[in-house]
Amino acid sequence: MSLRLKLLLLALATLVLPWAGCRYAKEMESALREGEQNSLSSVAETMASSLQGRRDLLYREPRTPAVAADTDEGETSSPEPEPASPYDIKPILLFAPPFLDGYTDDWPQDRSAWRFFAQGRHRFGILTGVYERMLYVLLDVQDEHLVFDAPGASPLDPSAFGDRVWLGFDDTHGTQHQYLVSATAPGSVTGRRIETGEYGQQNAVTEPRIVGAWMPTPQGYRVELRVPLSMLGEHFGVLIDDRDARGALPVSYGTLRSDDLHTVGRLIVASPELTRYLRQFIQPGQRLSIATPDGRLLAQADALAQVTALGPGTGLLARLYRRFVDRPNARRIVEATASIYDRDHTRIVGSLKVSQTEDRWLTLRDRALTRMLNSTLLISAIAVVAILLFAARLAMRLSRLRAASESALTRAGLVTTFPETGAADELGDVARGFSTLLSRLNEYTGYLRTLAAKLAHEIRTPLTIVRSSLENLESEGLSPAAGVYLERAREGSQRLNAILIAMGAATRVEEAISGAERTRFDLVPILTSAAASYRIAFPERHFAIELPAEPVEIEGAPDLIVQMLDKLVDNAVDFSPAGSTITLRLRLEPQAAILEVDNPGPPLAGAAQSRLFESLWQSRTGGDSRPHFGLGLYIVRLIAEFHGGSASAISLPQDTGARFCIRLAR
Amino acid sequence: MVAIVEDEPAIRDNYAAAFTREGYVVRAYANRAEAMTAFSARLPDLAVIDISLEEEPEGGFELCRQLRALSAELPIIFLTARDSELDAVSGLRLGADDFLTKDLSLAHLIARVNALFRRVEALRRPLEASQIIRRGPLNLDGERMQVEWDGQVVLLSLTEFWIVFALARHPGHVKNRQQLMDAANVVLDDNTITSHIKRIRRKFQSIDPKFDAVQTVYGMGYRWVE
Repeated sequence: MSLRLKLLLLALATLVLPWAGCRYAKEMESALREGEQNSLSSVAETMASSLQGRRDLLYREPRTPAVAADTDEGETSSPEPEPASPYDIKPILLFAPPFLDGYTDDWPQDRSAWRFFAQGRHRFGILTGVYERMLYVLLDVQDEHLVFDAPGASPLDPSAFGDRVWLGFDDTHGTQHQYLVSATAPGSVTGRRIETGEYGQQNAVTEPRIVGAWMPTPQGYRVELRVPLSMLGEHFGVLIDDRDARGALPVSYGTLRSDDLHTVGRLIVASPELTRYLRQFIQPGQRLSIATPDGRLLAQADALAQVTALGPGTGLLARLYRRFVDRPNARRIVEATASIYDRDHTRIVGSLKVSQTEDRWLTLRDRALTRMLNSTLLISAIAVVAILLFAARLAMRLSRLRAASESALTRAGLVTTFPETGAADELGDVARGFSTLLSRLNEYTGYLRTLAAKLAHEIRTPLTIVRSSLENLESEGLSPAAGVYLERAREGSQRLNAILIAMGAATRVEEAISGAERTRFDLVPILTSAAASYRIAFPERHFAIELPAEPVEIEGAPDLIVQMLDKLVDNAVDFSPAGSTITLRLRLEPQAAILEVDNPGPPLAGAAQSRLFESLWQSRTGGDSRPHFGLGLYIVRLIAEFHGGSASAISLPQDTGARFCIRLAR
Repeated sequence: MVAIVEDEPAIRDNYAAAFTREGYVVRAYANRAEAMTAFSARLPDLAVIDISLEEEPEGGFELCRQLRALSAELPIIFLTARDSELDAVSGLRLGADDFLTKDLSLAHLIARVNALFRRVEALRRPLEASQIIRRGPLNLDGERMQVEWDGQVVLLSLTEFWIVFALARHPGHVKNRQQLMDAANVVLDDNTITSHIKRIRRKFQSIDPKFDAVQTVYGMGYRWVE
């Protein structure tokens, strides 16, 4: 795994940021929700306590002066509400006005809201509802014999009487009123009041505010009525006059006293002010509702659907992010309820429920979430890119360092300038370490290279002392026996001198190279004449020479070329057996002249091949009287490099010998 | 009288003994101050000077300069343990007659000293035509050890003169390096002969840029061509 890949994986770890952001958003959401819940609860509590003891506001109650006086006294005695009666009418809160057609399909389909009354086999159900300032009454009467009033007859003619419905109620002043509803055929009905005139005559006065519809059903009939709440007081009741035949004696039953049609049950309905009262608190996206202790909705102010100032974000990213955070089908409404107590705080008279859409803070959350995710994703992307760039740069620097160290090791002349040494980081330390190591190695190699020359110089003085002493001794006229030793001593000193000269050879070649002048010259005659001299110098070897037909001109110093050739041939002679043939070959390549010297003999050792041309390296094993310091081929390389070329050596095929190959730039 | 300025006592004494044996009067000095004091009192007939003298690594050069200022003709031989080309060039530029390394044998050294004395003698005598070898534009005076090219004197060191002499005496003959060393009474390595030849060519070329009488026979040696 490359460093780059590793760092990239590391960079991917920054993706934990957006994840953490999502987590944070969720936390924030629940915190917000909790806070909202709390604030909603406190809103509910506040409103509930503002309604505390306001039965008059909650329920339609006659504001009698006595009650008002009670209130003013502020005593513990509160107006004790009448005990609950089975005849109490508790209308439900309607959210749309039912169409007065005698059908139930536009009423809430909630059976629990129905009340049933029966007398013998007679039975009816009543469902009441309030919509705004109207009381709606739905009566479902079971009647085997539906009898309509006789058409065209006076409503006051007892013989024309069919099934009838009486509505009885008191007004806000406590006066009892009775209205009858009858029909001559299915369809619209209107309430009528029976008035006794000045002279005792009775009149049926049509009351246009009480309207409805009469509709037969398989079991009997259904009556749907609408009565304005303004007509109604605290009490309300219905009575069914069930006749089996027109004009027959009716079976009367219901929630009115059958004798005087006075009310026995109350109409428990919210005061019209309650809704207005609630409306003043309402805010967009909220719903306030008040219910009776038994859970019946009394009043409601609904602004849930109203668009809040902060609509939920509709940006593509926002929607995308919401998918990550939201659980599907999550409830989007928070609610809080608070009980409304009576004045003494002893009885619960109702409960207040505040509902609020989540949109308000969802938007806030979405905004924060979007911003946070955007910034964290951006940060992640930047981090990834930055780390990638950093990794690339690091890898580049490392590979540069590696390349430099490799080239420093393979090249015979060590590099002295090393990359990255200026860097202040650890890589710079490594580079500096390498550089120091290499420069030390360089110094050491340099020291070794000059050691021979230095040694030669240092030995020269004592050697001179020895030699001059020997020479002086010679003139002293010694005995023949002593002369022998003297001769040996001189031979020894001469050999020492030869060693000294050999040791200084590389230095002198370096000097010669630095002072050499370049001229253009032809290699062919030089090789020809050199080969001739080698035949004389080494009579025990044969010299074959292979030359191109054309002149081979190169730029350089012919003296040095000959010196290089001397060293190569010297080397070839040393490693070849007597009587063998040494081949000198000059080949042409487009950019270079290739000079090859082949000698039969031992092949090159593998390890030696690369180091042959280094200073102070030698692979000779045989004893030899002449001094060798591994400088000959080093000199060859120096001269080849001076001519813009290189020196290499390979073993001949089948390991029959060695070939030294010198490339010279043309 | 031969003056030897050498800081190594053993060598100094050996040289002194050798010169004394040859009949020269020898004065030996260990350092430049000592030598200069003596030289200002009386000039020697020939001076053999080591380059590094005790504390001064280049003291010999300085001494040579001072000595040259005192006398233009006085033969001066540099004798040194150094064998750097650069030292040889700067030594000869200072007006030394020869620049030798210490691995030279005493016999060779004495031959050189004798030759230099002969030259001094010859320079004092009137010019003898019989001693002069003429090779085209080259006039070679074996006695005075003086070379002229196109009538102009070429200032050669003793070693260089002997090399030219050996080559020009038999034009066309190839002299290998060993032969040249023998002729010049030196033991040198190949590179030193090469640089001597190079210097000789340069000196001739400073008079005649077209000079190419000294030819290299690669692998063999050198020859004089007319």
